[in-house]
Amino acid sequence: MPQDPSKIRFLIVDDFSTMRRIVRNLLKELGFTNVDEAEDGAVAWQKLQAGGFNFVITDWNMPNMDGLTLLQTIRNDPRFNTLPVLMITAEAKKENIIAAAQAGASGYIVKPFTAATLNEKLTKIFEKLGW
Amino acid sequence: MSDFAGMEDLLQDFLVEASDLLANVDNKLVELEQNPHDRGLLHDIFRGFHTIKGGAGFLNATELVTLCHLTENLFDKLRNGEMEVTPAIMDVILAATAAVREMFHHLEGGVQPPPADPGLIAQLKAALSGALTQEDKAPPTAAMQPPAQPAAPAPMPEASSPAQEPNWEALFAALHGAQGVSSSTAPQKAPHENAATPPMHTDVKGKPAEEIIQHALGRRAADKPGAMAAPLGRRADEKTRDNTIRVDTARLDQVLNLSGEIGLTKNRLSSLRSDIINGRIDTDTLHALDQTVSQLDLLVSDLQNAVMKTRMQPIGRLFQKYPRIARDLARSLGKDVELVLAGEETEIDKTMIEDLSDPIIHLIRNAVDHGVESPEERRVAGKPEKSVVRLEARQEGDHIVIIVADDGRGMNAEKLRAKALEKGLITDEEANTMDERQSLNLIFLPGFSTKEVASDVSGRGVGMDVVRTNIQKLNGSIDIRSTPGKGTSFIISLPLTLAILPVLLVQLGSQPFAVPLSMVREILPVRLEDVQEVGGRATMVVRGEVLPIYPIAHLLGWETERVPQYGVLMQTAEHSFILAIDGFLGREDAVIKSLEGFRPKGVAGVTTLSNGQIVLILDMKELLADLGERRGVPRLAFLPREKLAA
Repeated sequence: MPQDPSKIRFLIVDDFSTMRRIVRNLLKELGFTNVDEAEDGAVAWQKLQAGGFNFVITDWNMPNMDGLTLLQTIRNDPRFNTLPVLMITAEAKKENIIAAAQAGASGYIVKPFTAATLNEKLTKIFEKLGW
Repeated sequence: MSDFAGMEDLLQDFLVEASDLLANVDNKLVELEQNPHDRGLLHDIFRGFHTIKGGAGFLNATELVTLCHLTENLFDKLRNGEMEVTPAIMDVILAATAAVREMFHHLEGGVQPPPADPGLIAQLKAALSGALTQEDKAPPTAAMQPPAQPAAPAPMPEASSPAQEPNWEALFAALHGAQGVSSSTAPQKAPHENAATPPMHTDVKGKPAEEIIQHALGRRAADKPGAMAAPLGRRADEKTRDNTIRVDTARLDQVLNLSGEIGLTKNRLSSLRSDIINGRIDTDTLHALDQTVSQLDLLVSDLQNAVMKTRMQPIGRLFQKYPRIARDLARSLGKDVELVLAGEETEIDKTMIEDLSDPIIHLIRNAVDHGVESPEERRVAGKPEKSVVRLEARQEGDHIVIIVADDGRGMNAEKLRAKALEKGLITDEEANTMDERQSLNLIFLPGFSTKEVASDVSGRGVGMDVVRTNIQKLNGSIDIRSTPGKGTSFIISLPLTLAILPVLLVQLGSQPFAVPLSMVREILPVRLEDVQEVGGRATMVVRGEVLPIYPIAHLLGWETERVPQYGVLMQTAEHSFILAIDGFLGREDAVIKSLEGFRPKGVAGVTTLSNGQIVLILDMKELLADLGERRGVPRLAFLPREKLAA
């Protein structure tokens, strides 16, 4: 698996383009420059199937296909069993966290967050994956 | 100072996108009043507030987060069927939406919004706890006190600190045993009791899952929305922003009026089109078409002017800071100088005002320092001791002219030539062929300074070339007129706007290119026998003036396919030349579009012709720079390949 930060290809999924830009900028700050975006789960799923992504960061609440459904769709496909998925949400509501954990999310991050927090989350996930 | 230093771009993005969202929410609310049970609508509105809240969090707009959070919770209950939309709730929701918009206005002004009306917050909380009745719509003062037992709102998401970070590991362990985050934990495949029973009931260590979850969430009792409330009304006066512009409403009305008229004319055209398509091409119809198109022409150019005018600012705003600068400078040099302003009401494009500031300062410094004499010299010359520097602006046709004129000693062309020669900036040959005007323009060459001892005021001649470069960047030109003993004038000529550039369309083969019309003096036929080689470069004599001639194909590095038929006599600040072309199409007002992301050498931008064709606008200065020192091409360059071979 890639060691070079720029080799890790991220997919940011959020319906709010400002938010995609924020996440993209935070990733850039951390040296992750290989980033693509999708405006909802359905578009993200299309892009994922085309292949080439190593990491998904997705919002929860989105039209067409929400983040949780996207996560479930990903985990149901043998091709993406090991694809790390970081869930972003505005709430630290326990129901949300439980649902995310049950669906197999690799991590969970609450808005708003800083680059440092994001880095911490990513590092943890990378460690687990042995990257 | 803005509350959003370093985040301006983010703030702008957020405001644009969030305002759209809010407008969308507004529309949905209107629909909701008709269909109060529409789950889809409720969900969409919920998501609108939710999204705004998320973005506001990154901007640290605490009060906006609080307001959206409460409203969102309300919609969460509504969409889950826990509550129903009542007129009272609808009123609160509409008030909350208005308050969100009000907060956007604060953000637009670059300030953190103050807390929402406590009455509104109390009503939202009351609505959430199901305690809202019509009576709660009492005056805000009565509603100031929140209900004694408000329904506990979900904790505010705050900037994550380790203490309140949900402990993902612990949570995951609680739910999935000790496996940790592993991809094999596809929940659908794992035969886990959680799938059947609620997760709170069991856990590996026998502790109530609820407790672990609470711990994992790092939930603190003290977590309350709006704890970081900004002081009320802070910096309410700082609503200025650089990228805004104040426009006279009369001008906006004119724009509106014109766009309305264009709409009407367009309707007329549509109807004429139908007529023509249906075969009605009699004289009357064609006449009406001709008339309507002419009218549209007029209206569009009026509209362009009107829109341009919204960007125009009186140049006096720029001028007013100069008298002080001139006075201080004169005093430090022991001179008595008065700066006289004229034409301050002349209007000029806002962006140009900013870019003109430095060049004008430099010209004024130059006039005070080099232009005017010391009081003693002036006395000897029989001039009044007090010298006058005039800074004047006026509109001449489609140009703005700015003049910096002094009544000083004037410039000596002979001396300037000698100086340039001595510094190796020009050759003997060049010096001998230079006229008065060309000689004066020598001061714009990089590295030219006529003062033996450079003063710390005007520097070492590093300024004048920068002045000219800056003026040229604005598609303008600068010229000098000087009379020895009487004074010197610098004349800056600028286009009214940067948006529209009149161009001449020339052809190389069948490919059109645009060159700035401001440089074109005349178009003449070119015959090969008129092209003479002088000193290794092709030249042509036009009314006694020997001018270099460059085939456009040569400048662009294309292969010549035929001998050029026409020449365009062009003039830059430094020299005149003839651009040899295959043909020309005419003039056009080009709307310059820059090439996104890259800029090929010699191309200033692109424009679209009336027939939809895209044409490159050539930057003649850059193209000529490539020719190097000799600024010439051999006569052979005119001959196409085949002819050379034969």
